[in-house]
Amino acid sequence: MTYLWQVAVHSAVMGAIFYAWVHRVDLPSGRTKRHLLMLLLVLPLVTAAVPGRSDGAFGERLAWFDSVRVADVPLVSGVHLYHVAWLLGGLMTILTIWQEVLPSFRHPHATTADVPEWLWPLVRGRAGWAQCTVAVSPLPSIMLATAGWPGRATLIVSRGALAALSAPDVSLAIAHEHAHWVEGRWWKSHLLFLARLLQCYHPTALWAFREYCIEEEIACDAVAAAGRDPATLVRILLQVYKETDPRDVAARGALRKRVDVLMSGGPQDAALPPATIIAAAGLMLLVLPWIV
Amino acid sequence: MDRLKGLFALVLITAGIFGALRIVHVSIPLVFPQTRQGPIEVASLDDVRRLAGFSPLLPAYRPAILGDRPTSMTFSFHPRPTFVIVWRAGDQYLSVTQQQGGPMPPHPPLAQPLATVPDATWWTDGVRSQVIVARGEFWIRIDTSLPPRDLTRLVDTLTAY
Repeated sequence: MTYLWQVAVHSAVMGAIFYAWVHRVDLPSGRTKRHLLMLLLVLPLVTAAVPGRSDGAFGERLAWFDSVRVADVPLVSGVHLYHVAWLLGGLMTILTIWQEVLPSFRHPHATTADVPEWLWPLVRGRAGWAQCTVAVSPLPSIMLATAGWPGRATLIVSRGALAALSAPDVSLAIAHEHAHWVEGRWWKSHLLFLARLLQCYHPTALWAFREYCIEEEIACDAVAAAGRDPATLVRILLQVYKETDPRDVAARGALRKRVDVLMSGGPQDAALPPATIIAAAGLMLLVLPWIV
Repeated sequence: MDRLKGLFALVLITAGIFGALRIVHVSIPLVFPQTRQGPIEVASLDDVRRLAGFSPLLPAYRPAILGDRPTSMTFSFHPRPTFVIVWRAGDQYLSVTQQQGGPMPPHPPLAQPLATVPDATWWTDGVRSQVIVARGEFWIRIDTSLPPRDLTRLVDTLTAY
Protein backbone atom coordinates (compact mmCIF):
# COMPACT_ATOMS: atom_id res chain seq x y z
CA MET A 1 0.00 0.00 0.00
CA THR A 2 2.83 2.37 0.89
CA TYR A 3 4.52 1.60 -2.43
CA LEU A 4 1.35 2.32 -4.42
CA TRP A 5 0.90 5.60 -2.55
CA GLN A 6 4.52 6.53 -3.25
CA VAL A 7 4.08 5.77 -6.96
CA ALA A 8 1.04 8.07 -7.09
CA VAL A 9 2.84 10.88 -5.24
CA HIS A 10 6.02 10.64 -7.36
CA SER A 11 3.94 10.48 -10.51
CA ALA A 12 1.93 13.55 -9.51
CA VAL A 13 5.05 15.59 -8.69
CA MET A 14 6.87 14.48 -11.84
CA GLY A 15 3.73 15.11 -13.89
CA ALA A 16 3.47 18.67 -12.53
CA ILE A 17 7.16 19.32 -13.28
CA PHE A 18 7.01 17.90 -16.81
CA TYR A 19 3.71 19.63 -17.57
CA ALA A 20 5.15 23.02 -16.57
CA TRP A 21 8.39 22.28 -18.46
CA VAL A 22 6.63 21.24 -21.69
CA HIS A 23 4.61 24.47 -21.60
CA ARG A 24 7.67 26.56 -20.73
CA VAL A 25 9.74 25.30 -23.67
CA ASP A 26 6.61 25.09 -25.87
CA LEU A 27 7.39 21.48 -26.75
CA PRO A 28 5.71 20.36 -29.98
CA SER A 29 4.36 16.88 -30.65
CA GLY A 30 6.98 14.34 -31.60
CA ARG A 31 9.51 11.84 -30.30
CA THR A 32 10.72 14.07 -27.45
CA LYS A 33 7.22 14.37 -26.04
CA ARG A 34 6.68 10.62 -26.35
CA HIS A 35 9.90 9.95 -24.47
CA LEU A 36 8.90 12.32 -21.66
CA LEU A 37 5.50 10.61 -21.35
CA MET A 38 7.21 7.20 -21.29
CA LEU A 39 9.46 8.44 -18.48
CA LEU A 40 6.43 9.73 -16.61
CA LEU A 41 4.78 6.31 -16.79
CA VAL A 42 7.85 4.29 -15.85
CA LEU A 43 10.14 6.33 -13.56
CA PRO A 44 7.74 6.64 -10.58
CA LEU A 45 7.60 2.82 -10.43
CA VAL A 46 11.38 2.91 -9.93
CA THR A 47 11.80 5.90 -7.62
CA ALA A 48 9.00 4.70 -5.32
CA ALA A 49 10.88 1.41 -4.88
CA VAL A 50 14.07 3.03 -3.56
CA PRO A 51 14.51 1.25 -0.21
CA GLY A 52 14.94 2.69 3.28
CA ARG A 53 12.24 5.35 3.00
CA SER A 54 9.18 3.63 4.40
CA ASP A 55 9.60 4.30 8.12
CA GLY A 56 8.35 7.43 9.84
CA ALA A 57 11.87 8.48 10.83
CA PHE A 58 12.85 9.05 7.18
CA GLY A 59 9.75 11.16 6.58
CA GLU A 60 10.38 13.11 9.77
CA ARG A 61 14.11 13.73 9.55
CA LEU A 62 15.41 13.24 6.01
CA ALA A 63 12.58 13.60 3.53
CA TRP A 64 12.23 16.86 1.66
CA PHE A 65 8.47 16.42 1.57
CA ASP A 66 6.38 13.94 3.55
CA SER A 67 3.09 13.39 1.72
CA VAL A 68 1.61 11.61 4.75
CA ARG A 69 1.42 15.00 6.47
CA VAL A 70 -0.88 16.23 3.71
CA ALA A 71 -2.86 12.98 3.60
CA ASP A 72 -3.39 13.13 7.36
CA VAL A 73 -4.91 16.62 7.37
CA PRO A 74 -8.31 16.35 9.09
CA LEU A 75 -11.37 17.58 7.23
CA VAL A 76 -14.73 17.08 8.95
CA SER A 77 -16.29 14.42 11.20
CA GLY A 78 -13.16 12.28 11.45
CA VAL A 79 -12.62 12.35 7.68
CA HIS A 80 -9.04 12.97 6.59
CA LEU A 81 -7.61 13.87 3.20
CA TYR A 82 -6.41 10.28 2.77
CA HIS A 83 -10.06 9.15 2.80
CA VAL A 84 -10.64 11.43 -0.21
CA ALA A 85 -7.51 9.98 -1.85
CA TRP A 86 -8.84 6.43 -1.33
CA LEU A 87 -12.18 7.41 -2.84
CA LEU A 88 -10.46 8.99 -5.84
CA GLY A 89 -8.25 5.89 -6.23
CA GLY A 90 -11.32 3.63 -6.20
CA LEU A 91 -13.11 5.77 -8.78
CA MET A 92 -10.02 5.82 -11.00
CA THR A 93 -9.75 2.01 -10.83
CA ILE A 94 -13.41 1.61 -11.82
CA LEU A 95 -12.91 4.13 -14.64
CA THR A 96 -9.86 2.24 -15.91
CA ILE A 97 -11.67 -1.11 -15.90
CA TRP A 98 -14.71 0.38 -17.61
CA GLN A 99 -12.96 2.52 -20.21
CA GLU A 100 -9.72 0.66 -20.90
CA VAL A 101 -9.74 -2.96 -19.74
CA LEU A 102 -13.24 -4.09 -20.73
CA PRO A 103 -13.08 -2.55 -24.24
CA SER A 104 -9.91 -4.54 -24.94
CA PHE A 105 -11.99 -7.73 -24.56
CA ARG A 106 -14.80 -6.44 -26.77
CA HIS A 107 -13.66 -6.97 -30.36
CA PRO A 108 -15.89 -5.37 -32.96
CA HIS A 109 -18.07 -7.92 -34.68
CA ALA A 110 -16.34 -8.63 -37.99
CA THR A 111 -16.20 -11.35 -40.60
CA THR A 112 -13.39 -12.52 -42.86
CA ALA A 113 -15.94 -13.25 -45.57
CA ASP A 114 -16.87 -10.57 -48.14
CA VAL A 115 -13.44 -8.91 -48.02
CA PRO A 116 -13.02 -6.98 -51.28
CA GLU A 117 -10.30 -8.52 -53.44
CA TRP A 118 -8.57 -5.16 -53.97
CA LEU A 119 -7.97 -4.87 -50.21
CA TRP A 120 -5.65 -7.88 -49.91
CA PRO A 121 -2.61 -6.50 -51.77
CA LEU A 122 -2.93 -3.19 -49.90
CA VAL A 123 -2.64 -5.10 -46.64
CA ARG A 124 -0.37 -8.06 -47.33
CA GLY A 125 2.05 -6.03 -49.40
CA ARG A 126 3.22 -4.27 -46.25
CA ALA A 127 6.33 -5.30 -44.33
CA GLY A 128 5.56 -7.97 -41.74
CA TRP A 129 1.93 -8.24 -42.80
CA ALA A 130 2.24 -11.09 -45.33
CA GLN A 131 0.07 -13.24 -43.03
CA CYS A 132 -2.24 -10.45 -41.89
CA THR A 133 -5.91 -11.37 -41.74
CA VAL A 134 -8.50 -8.89 -42.94
CA ALA A 135 -12.02 -8.73 -41.53
CA VAL A 136 -14.95 -6.52 -42.42
CA SER A 137 -17.09 -5.02 -39.71
CA PRO A 138 -20.73 -4.15 -40.45
CA LEU A 139 -20.33 -0.73 -38.77
CA PRO A 140 -21.73 2.08 -40.96
CA SER A 141 -19.15 4.57 -39.65
CA ILE A 142 -15.56 4.97 -40.82
CA MET A 143 -13.45 2.63 -38.72
CA LEU A 144 -10.11 0.92 -39.25
CA ALA A 145 -8.49 -0.96 -36.40
CA THR A 146 -6.04 -3.74 -35.76
CA ALA A 147 -6.02 -6.62 -33.31
CA GLY A 148 -3.84 -9.64 -32.53
CA TRP A 149 -0.13 -10.06 -31.95
CA PRO A 150 2.97 -9.28 -33.99
CA GLY A 151 3.06 -11.92 -36.72
CA ARG A 152 -0.68 -12.61 -36.26
CA ALA A 153 -2.22 -9.24 -36.96
CA THR A 154 -5.81 -8.71 -38.02
CA LEU A 155 -6.95 -5.58 -39.79
CA ILE A 156 -10.60 -4.71 -39.28
CA VAL A 157 -12.23 -2.38 -41.79
CA SER A 158 -15.78 -1.18 -41.43
CA ARG A 159 -18.34 -1.23 -44.24
CA GLY A 160 -18.70 2.50 -43.64
CA ALA A 161 -15.01 3.00 -44.41
CA LEU A 162 -15.21 0.91 -47.59
CA ALA A 163 -18.23 2.91 -48.72
CA ALA A 164 -17.00 6.39 -47.82
CA LEU A 165 -13.31 6.16 -48.73
CA SER A 166 -11.69 5.70 -52.11
CA ALA A 167 -9.10 2.94 -52.57
CA PRO A 168 -6.16 5.42 -52.19
CA ASP A 169 -7.77 6.76 -49.01
CA VAL A 170 -8.16 3.25 -47.61
CA SER A 171 -4.54 2.58 -48.54
CA LEU A 172 -3.52 5.68 -46.57
CA ALA A 173 -5.57 4.59 -43.56
CA ILE A 174 -4.02 1.11 -43.77
CA ALA A 175 -0.56 2.72 -43.87
CA HIS A 176 -1.47 4.47 -40.62
CA GLU A 177 -2.62 1.22 -38.99
CA HIS A 178 0.47 -0.60 -40.26
CA ALA A 179 2.71 2.07 -38.70
CA HIS A 180 1.43 0.98 -35.26
CA TRP A 181 3.05 -2.44 -35.85
CA VAL A 182 6.53 -1.41 -36.95
CA GLU A 183 9.60 0.11 -35.27
CA GLY A 184 8.63 -1.52 -31.96
CA ARG A 185 5.54 0.68 -31.52
CA TRP A 186 3.27 -2.26 -30.75
CA TRP A 187 5.57 -3.52 -28.00
CA LYS A 188 6.20 -0.06 -26.57
CA SER A 189 2.54 0.84 -26.36
CA HIS A 190 1.57 -2.53 -24.84
CA LEU A 191 4.35 -2.43 -22.24
CA LEU A 192 3.33 1.10 -21.34
CA PHE A 193 -0.27 -0.07 -21.09
CA LEU A 194 0.92 -2.61 -18.51
CA ALA A 195 2.73 0.16 -16.61
CA ARG A 196 -0.48 2.17 -16.85
CA LEU A 197 -2.58 -0.72 -15.49
CA LEU A 198 -0.22 -1.01 -12.51
CA GLN A 199 -1.08 2.64 -11.83
CA CYS A 200 -4.80 2.33 -12.58
CA TYR A 201 -5.70 4.09 -9.32
CA HIS A 202 -4.17 7.51 -9.93
CA PRO A 203 -5.09 10.16 -12.48
CA THR A 204 -1.59 11.19 -13.59
CA ALA A 205 -1.00 7.80 -15.22
CA LEU A 206 -4.39 7.99 -16.94
CA TRP A 207 -3.55 11.41 -18.35
CA ALA A 208 0.02 10.44 -19.32
CA PHE A 209 -1.06 7.27 -21.11
CA ARG A 210 -3.82 9.03 -23.05
CA GLU A 211 -1.40 11.75 -24.08
CA TYR A 212 1.06 9.05 -25.16
CA CYS A 213 -1.64 7.34 -27.26
CA ILE A 214 -2.41 10.63 -29.03
CA GLU A 215 1.31 11.14 -29.66
CA GLU A 216 1.48 7.63 -31.10
CA GLU A 217 -1.40 8.41 -33.44
CA ILE A 218 0.42 11.58 -34.52
CA ALA A 219 3.60 9.58 -35.17
CA CYS A 220 1.67 7.01 -37.22
CA ASP A 221 -0.07 9.81 -39.14
CA ALA A 222 3.37 11.16 -40.04
CA VAL A 223 4.54 7.74 -41.27
CA ALA A 224 1.36 7.27 -43.32
CA ALA A 225 1.49 10.76 -44.82
CA ALA A 226 5.20 10.63 -45.66
CA GLY A 227 5.72 11.33 -49.37
CA ARG A 228 2.05 12.20 -49.85
CA ASP A 229 -0.06 15.27 -49.53
CA PRO A 230 -1.02 15.48 -45.81
CA ALA A 231 -4.26 17.14 -46.84
CA THR A 232 -5.59 13.71 -47.88
CA LEU A 233 -5.16 12.32 -44.39
CA VAL A 234 -6.54 15.55 -42.92
CA ARG A 235 -9.65 15.10 -45.05
CA ILE A 236 -10.11 11.51 -43.82
CA LEU A 237 -9.64 12.59 -40.20
CA LEU A 238 -12.19 15.36 -40.61
CA GLN A 239 -14.67 12.83 -42.02
CA VAL A 240 -14.13 10.71 -38.92
CA TYR A 241 -14.46 13.85 -36.78
CA LYS A 242 -17.86 14.65 -38.27
CA GLU A 243 -19.06 11.12 -37.52
CA THR A 244 -17.82 11.17 -33.92
CA ASP A 245 -20.43 11.80 -31.25
CA PRO A 246 -20.03 15.45 -30.08
CA ARG A 247 -20.33 14.19 -26.50
CA ASP A 248 -17.10 12.23 -26.98
CA VAL A 249 -15.01 15.29 -26.21
CA ALA A 250 -11.77 13.32 -25.73
CA ALA A 251 -11.96 11.54 -29.11
CA ARG A 252 -12.83 14.74 -30.95
CA GLY A 253 -10.08 16.62 -29.13
CA ALA A 254 -7.54 13.97 -30.17
CA LEU A 255 -8.69 14.16 -33.80
CA ARG A 256 -8.42 17.95 -33.76
CA LYS A 257 -4.90 17.74 -32.42
CA ARG A 258 -3.89 15.21 -35.10
CA VAL A 259 -5.28 17.50 -37.79
CA ASP A 260 -3.50 20.52 -36.30
CA VAL A 261 -0.15 18.70 -36.27
CA LEU A 262 -0.58 17.46 -39.85
CA MET A 263 -1.53 20.97 -41.01
CA SER A 264 1.48 22.50 -39.28
CA GLY A 265 4.02 20.28 -41.00
CA GLY A 266 3.95 17.13 -38.84
CA PRO A 267 5.62 16.21 -35.56
CA GLN A 268 9.06 17.51 -34.62
CA ASP A 269 11.03 14.52 -33.47
CA ALA A 270 14.16 16.38 -32.39
CA ALA A 271 12.60 19.23 -30.40
CA LEU A 272 15.02 18.59 -27.53
CA PRO A 273 18.38 16.77 -27.73
CA PRO A 274 18.59 13.22 -26.33
CA ALA A 275 21.11 14.43 -23.72
CA THR A 276 18.43 16.70 -22.25
CA ILE A 277 15.99 13.81 -21.95
CA ILE A 278 18.63 11.63 -20.27
CA ALA A 279 19.55 14.49 -17.92
CA ALA A 280 15.85 15.03 -17.11
CA ALA A 281 15.48 11.34 -16.25
CA GLY A 282 18.62 11.51 -14.10
CA LEU A 283 17.35 14.59 -12.30
CA MET A 284 14.04 12.91 -11.49
CA LEU A 285 15.83 9.76 -10.30
CA LEU A 286 17.93 11.95 -8.05
CA VAL A 287 15.23 14.14 -6.49
CA LEU A 288 12.04 12.06 -6.35
CA PRO A 289 13.24 9.56 -3.71
CA TRP A 290 13.45 12.48 -1.26
CA ILE A 291 9.68 12.72 -1.44
CA VAL A 292 7.79 10.15 0.60
CA MET B 1 25.02 24.12 -24.31
CA ASP B 2 22.78 23.14 -27.24
CA ARG B 3 23.28 19.51 -26.25
CA LEU B 4 21.38 20.27 -23.03
CA LYS B 5 18.86 22.67 -24.52
CA GLY B 6 15.85 23.17 -22.25
CA LEU B 7 17.47 21.60 -19.19
CA PHE B 8 17.92 24.89 -17.33
CA ALA B 9 14.18 25.52 -17.49
CA LEU B 10 13.55 22.03 -16.10
CA VAL B 11 15.95 22.61 -13.21
CA LEU B 12 14.27 25.94 -12.39
CA ILE B 13 10.77 24.43 -12.50
CA THR B 14 11.89 21.46 -10.37
CA ALA B 15 13.43 23.84 -7.84
CA GLY B 16 10.23 25.90 -7.76
CA ILE B 17 7.93 22.92 -7.27
CA PHE B 18 10.23 21.41 -4.65
CA GLY B 19 10.34 24.76 -2.86
CA ALA B 20 6.55 24.86 -2.77
CA LEU B 21 6.42 21.27 -1.48
CA ARG B 22 8.87 22.14 1.28
CA ILE B 23 6.72 25.06 2.38
CA VAL B 24 3.72 22.71 2.57
CA HIS B 25 5.83 20.11 4.43
CA VAL B 26 6.89 22.63 7.07
CA SER B 27 3.68 24.61 7.42
CA ILE B 28 1.08 21.82 7.72
CA PRO B 29 2.35 20.64 11.16
CA LEU B 30 2.15 24.22 12.40
CA VAL B 31 -1.60 24.10 11.83
CA PHE B 32 -2.16 20.35 12.38
CA PRO B 33 0.60 19.06 14.72
CA GLN B 34 -0.79 15.53 14.64
CA THR B 35 0.13 15.20 10.95
CA ARG B 36 3.78 14.71 11.88
CA GLN B 37 4.68 11.05 11.71
CA GLY B 38 7.45 11.11 14.28
CA PRO B 39 9.41 10.07 16.18
CA ILE B 40 9.83 13.73 17.08
CA GLU B 41 12.70 14.73 19.38
CA VAL B 42 11.29 16.79 22.24
CA ALA B 43 13.40 19.14 24.31
CA SER B 44 11.33 19.27 27.48
CA LEU B 45 8.47 17.49 29.23
CA ASP B 46 6.35 20.61 28.72
CA ASP B 47 6.70 20.04 24.97
CA VAL B 48 5.19 16.58 25.43
CA ARG B 49 2.14 18.06 27.11
CA ARG B 50 1.82 20.63 24.33
CA LEU B 51 2.27 18.11 21.51
CA ALA B 52 0.39 15.15 22.93
CA GLY B 53 -2.18 16.83 25.10
CA PHE B 54 -1.37 14.55 28.04
CA SER B 55 1.09 14.65 30.91
CA PRO B 56 3.96 12.17 30.84
CA LEU B 57 3.97 9.54 33.60
CA LEU B 58 7.46 9.14 35.03
CA PRO B 59 8.83 6.93 37.80
CA ALA B 60 9.82 9.08 40.79
CA TYR B 61 12.27 6.34 41.74
CA ARG B 62 15.36 6.51 39.58
CA PRO B 63 18.70 5.21 40.81
CA ALA B 64 21.37 7.91 40.86
CA ILE B 65 23.58 5.77 38.59
CA LEU B 66 21.29 6.69 35.64
CA GLY B 67 21.90 10.41 36.09
CA ASP B 68 19.43 13.24 36.55
CA ARG B 69 18.66 14.13 32.99
CA PRO B 70 17.16 11.81 30.38
CA THR B 71 19.36 11.01 27.38
CA SER B 72 16.48 11.10 24.91
CA MET B 73 12.83 12.04 24.73
CA THR B 74 10.80 11.30 21.60
CA PHE B 75 7.15 11.48 20.70
CA SER B 76 5.17 9.82 17.87
CA PHE B 77 1.60 10.49 16.80
CA HIS B 78 1.33 7.26 14.80
CA PRO B 79 0.04 4.63 15.04
CA ARG B 80 -0.87 5.77 18.60
CA PRO B 81 0.33 8.83 20.47
CA THR B 82 3.42 7.48 22.20
CA PHE B 83 6.05 9.14 24.38
CA VAL B 84 9.41 7.45 25.01
CA ILE B 85 11.92 8.71 27.60
CA VAL B 86 15.29 7.07 28.15
CA TRP B 87 17.97 7.46 30.84
CA ARG B 88 21.25 5.82 29.98
CA ALA B 89 24.67 5.72 31.69
CA GLY B 90 27.17 3.19 30.38
CA ASP B 91 25.52 -0.25 30.36
CA GLN B 92 22.70 0.85 32.64
CA TYR B 93 19.51 2.19 31.18
CA LEU B 94 15.85 2.84 31.92
CA SER B 95 13.29 3.36 29.18
CA VAL B 96 9.66 4.32 29.79
CA THR B 97 7.19 4.14 26.88
CA GLN B 98 3.76 5.70 27.37
CA GLN B 99 1.18 4.75 24.73
CA GLN B 100 -2.25 6.34 24.63
CA GLY B 101 -5.01 3.81 23.95
CA GLY B 102 -4.86 0.78 21.68
CA PRO B 103 -4.35 -2.85 22.58
CA MET B 104 -1.85 -4.00 25.19
CA PRO B 105 1.68 -3.85 23.74
CA PRO B 106 3.12 -7.25 22.77
CA HIS B 107 4.70 -9.35 25.50
CA PRO B 108 6.04 -12.92 25.64
CA PRO B 109 3.65 -15.76 26.61
CA LEU B 110 5.69 -16.52 29.72
CA ALA B 111 5.17 -13.03 31.14
CA GLN B 112 3.43 -13.09 34.52
CA PRO B 113 1.46 -10.72 36.76
CA LEU B 114 3.57 -8.48 38.95
CA ALA B 115 2.84 -9.28 42.60
CA THR B 116 1.20 -6.45 44.59
CA VAL B 117 0.62 -4.32 41.44
CA PRO B 118 -2.69 -4.85 39.62
CA ASP B 119 -2.81 -4.71 35.80
CA ALA B 120 0.95 -5.23 35.52
CA THR B 121 2.73 -7.97 33.54
CA TRP B 122 6.47 -8.51 33.75
CA TRP B 123 9.21 -10.68 32.31
CA THR B 124 12.96 -10.80 31.88
CA ASP B 125 15.03 -11.20 28.76
CA GLY B 126 18.69 -11.78 29.62
CA VAL B 127 19.77 -8.79 31.68
CA ARG B 128 16.69 -6.81 30.61
CA SER B 129 13.68 -6.56 32.89
CA GLN B 130 10.41 -5.36 31.43
CA VAL B 131 6.96 -4.59 32.70
CA ILE B 132 3.73 -3.40 31.09
CA VAL B 133 1.17 -1.70 33.28
CA ALA B 134 -2.20 -0.07 32.54
CA ARG B 135 -2.70 3.43 33.92
CA GLY B 136 -6.04 4.94 32.93
CA GLU B 137 -6.13 5.27 29.14
CA PHE B 138 -2.38 4.58 28.88
CA TRP B 139 -0.15 1.56 28.55
CA ILE B 140 3.20 2.10 30.28
CA ARG B 141 6.07 -0.13 29.28
CA ILE B 142 9.23 -0.03 31.35
CA ASP B 143 12.36 -1.62 29.96
CA THR B 144 15.50 -1.51 32.10
CA SER B 145 18.83 -3.07 32.89
CA LEU B 146 18.09 -2.59 36.60
CA PRO B 147 17.39 -5.80 38.57
CA PRO B 148 13.82 -7.25 38.40
CA ARG B 149 13.19 -6.35 42.05
CA ASP B 150 13.24 -2.64 41.03
CA LEU B 151 10.28 -3.08 38.67
CA THR B 152 7.70 -2.91 41.47
CA ARG B 153 9.24 0.24 42.84
CA LEU B 154 9.40 1.86 39.38
CA VAL B 155 5.73 1.07 38.75
CA ASP B 156 4.60 2.09 42.21
CA THR B 157 6.20 5.52 41.88
CA LEU B 158 4.79 6.42 38.44
CA THR B 159 3.64 10.01 38.73
CA ALA B 160 2.25 12.48 36.24
CA TYR B 161 4.70 15.27 35.39
